[in-house]
Amino acid sequence: MTFTLPRDGSSLPLSHFFLAGLDPLDQVRISPILQRLEAGGALLPDSQIHRLEVIGILHSYGEVLDAYSRNLIFIADHQFLELFPAFKYFNGEITLGKWLRYLWHDRINYEFAEYCMKAMLWHGGGGLDRYLDTPEFVQRAKAAIRAKIRFNPFLQGLGILFPDFALEQVRMLAMYSGLGQFWRVMSDIFLSLSKRSETEPHLTIPEVVAHIQQGLVAAAGKPIAYAPCIWGRRYEIIPLSAGLTFLPDTAIPYVEAVFFRSFPFMGTVSYNAQAGQIPHEQADFAYGALYADPLPVGSAGIPPTLLMQDMMRHLPPRLREHYRRSPRGEEDLRVKICLSFQKAMFCVTTAALRALAPFPLETQDPQQQKANREFLTPWLQRLAGSRLLSMQEVFGM
Amino acid sequence: MLSLLIGIPLLGSIWIGLIPERAGKSIHRRLALGFGWVLFGLSAGLLLAFDPHLGSLQLAETMAWIPQLGLVYELGVDGISLPLVVMTGLLVLMAIWASGQVERPRLYYSLVLMLAAAVAGAFLAQNLLLFFLFYEVELIPLYLLIAIWGGPQRTYAATKFLIYTALSGILLLIGFFGLSWLSDAHSFTYTVLQAHPLPLVQQTLLLVPILLGLAIKIPLVPFHTWLPDAHVEASTPISVLLAGLLLKLGTYGLLRFGLQLLPDAWEQAGPWLAGWAVVNVLYGSLDALVQQDMKKLVAYSSIAHMGYILLATAAATPLSLVGSVFQMVSHGLISALLFLLVGAVYTNTGTRDLRLLQGLLNPERGLPLIGSLMVLGVMASGGTPGMVGFIAEFTIFRGSFPVFPLQTLLCMMGTGLTAAYFLLMVNRVFFGRLSEVATAMSRQQVRERLPAVVLATLVVVLGLQPAWATHWIEPTTADLAKSVALSAAATEGVVGKLTCFMACDSS
Repeated sequence: MTFTLPRDGSSLPLSHFFLAGLDPLDQVRISPILQRLEAGGALLPDSQIHRLEVIGILHSYGEVLDAYSRNLIFIADHQFLELFPAFKYFNGEITLGKWLRYLWHDRINYEFAEYCMKAMLWHGGGGLDRYLDTPEFVQRAKAAIRAKIRFNPFLQGLGILFPDFALEQVRMLAMYSGLGQFWRVMSDIFLSLSKRSETEPHLTIPEVVAHIQQGLVAAAGKPIAYAPCIWGRRYEIIPLSAGLTFLPDTAIPYVEAVFFRSFPFMGTVSYNAQAGQIPHEQADFAYGALYADPLPVGSAGIPPTLLMQDMMRHLPPRLREHYRRSPRGEEDLRVKICLSFQKAMFCVTTAALRALAPFPLETQDPQQQKANREFLTPWLQRLAGSRLLSMQEVFGM
Repeated sequence: MLSLLIGIPLLGSIWIGLIPERAGKSIHRRLALGFGWVLFGLSAGLLLAFDPHLGSLQLAETMAWIPQLGLVYELGVDGISLPLVVMTGLLVLMAIWASGQVERPRLYYSLVLMLAAAVAGAFLAQNLLLFFLFYEVELIPLYLLIAIWGGPQRTYAATKFLIYTALSGILLLIGFFGLSWLSDAHSFTYTVLQAHPLPLVQQTLLLVPILLGLAIKIPLVPFHTWLPDAHVEASTPISVLLAGLLLKLGTYGLLRFGLQLLPDAWEQAGPWLAGWAVVNVLYGSLDALVQQDMKKLVAYSSIAHMGYILLATAAATPLSLVGSVFQMVSHGLISALLFLLVGAVYTNTGTRDLRLLQGLLNPERGLPLIGSLMVLGVMASGGTPGMVGFIAEFTIFRGSFPVFPLQTLLCMMGTGLTAAYFLLMVNRVFFGRLSEVATAMSRQQVRERLPAVVLATLVVVLGLQPAWATHWIEPTTADLAKSVALSAAATEGVVGKLTCFMACDSS
């Protein structure tokens, strides 16, 4: 018996939807997810437990992102070319009490934000990354560097020996600022969702996705600029005229770098390198937040990160109680937070996909459906190897 | 005082047995724990009453019982039995502690305490018939503890254990009667028999049944097959008692009856016994290498480690004898620890299969404390310096090498194999990503882990400060080695043996 595929796919039943490059088993497992997306759902199935986890963890994530964002912007603006930024995590408020708490590690792990920034810098992509290699940026950055090192013979000497050193530092500081501005928006979206859930306690997963999508769309055109103040004068390193905006120049590169390629779980890369599992192409990396195994492996694996530790401080009481009632109670809290975080990030990914899709995913127009499927195919192919399939259980923890 | 070590657990056994099940869910356990603490306190108290500078029998108690049969209630303790009695008190307490909530607690705890009384009695007995009595009494509770609270094949394992050990008892009884009848004194008392040595031929004839009886109990290859079955089917606390105490009745018998009462035959059989030790060590280790069940692996490891004791006893130098007694203590602590840990793995994951388990050292969702203690336990068993296993094995090898260099070297290969099979086990079960069978484990109470923590602490403490144990043992084993050497010299007129003894003594 032969089976002929219609050329435009218009009369093809959904169950026969074919994603090139996937093995038959993954085809079968991905198919219901695609159907759900086209029916107005999300990558993550809707259930009471998922709602509790996703809304709760996004509240916690929003709080943490708020802190990260403020610190990244503080470093970019006020620690410009500081060779020994010993107090960069203090946000300008240096007191004995804060220092003692810092030494006792009673603080937010701002290092995590820097790891994310470095991931973005390393993987590149988007308008911000492209701009950092333009002559305009080099010219503006050099002007700022000259101003900064005017009274600093050490940095002047360093500049003579290593002419690109300071320039590379400024590129990094620009990325600090870009990520800080991106997270400012995301934090506000997540915190407003949390606030909304107080008045609308029965928000569903598709409603959560719609909330995030609205926030992303609303901020899509928000300009990204960077102008640190040096000796009382502001130097525009990324001017408004560069035309960088929130969605294409920070959000999408961030998703690519952190969600797909290299979420900074400490140990991820070293463990996979030891196992000879690092791909040759940077673009083929699949160690992002959506792929990371939340269970640590011995001492060299993928431990729940500093982020989980930070989110632990801001868990809403209902979610904490939900975790406490599970078999291991609070013993494996970071693993549970990580699992919930991944669920939430699949909602954010859904919102991004919906925002970027050529047509509304619920469309009944066959041509629009076809275009949407062409858009979704590479994404779903990439996600087939992620934690997506293991998140399809509605009770799993 | 020594009678209390038998009487207290026996009283506990009867008392608990009289309290009906409906009296309460935990009353039997609480009572058993109370008696366990008293027994441990009394056995530890022996250390205060015992003079470590004397190698002779101490705290002796004698009472005529059935004089017509030669059965005299004679108890005493020396440097060989003292550590074993203290270990009995400790391991019985640990076993009761680790038992938790069991089905039919009245019978269970009653039998455990009866077993404790019998084992303590066997170590303290100074009369062959009294030893035999305790040796046989111990069979009943252990048989029932395996047959009632064991795994799916418990009936088979318990029956096999019963048949083997009953046969062991019969062989011992034959040897004991022979010893008494052939001796001028016609007594069953150890000291009397020691003072009236038999000729070499008679000793040799008697050594055969006694050795075979003890070989079953220890167990030595090829009489070992009951042990892996019994361990696999027994519940964790019973495995602790079985490995920690019951096997030691056999090795204790080697010193007490083989070496002490039949020194000339023992000296003649020495090379053969050392060869047997090599077979035991290598066979047990190689068998352990291919096991897929954690408990079976530890059981085969026990068989291999019994070989070291046989080697040391066969060499019979002052140092090797200290090593053999110390190895009994060391193996008692380490094997009890390992069985407790394997039991914890089984309780939490529902399996002991090496093919299914992985990544249990996972700090978030695994059994990190159990895993860490297991790493410590296998390091101790493999003879890592700083732990009790190293001291015991090093002492044995150092003491045995001058007498049996080849056999000692071959036995030393066993320590390498121990490291190999235990590392394979630890690597499979505790490292890597946590396996699916273990991801839904519930939270553990720290107090459930305390017995293992206590044993692990002792393993390290005695490894760092072995003199705290050996100074109780050394005077007795030195006296024993001297008397064996003198006896051999007197029988054969061999000066070389004495020379060797002197050389070993000075080292």
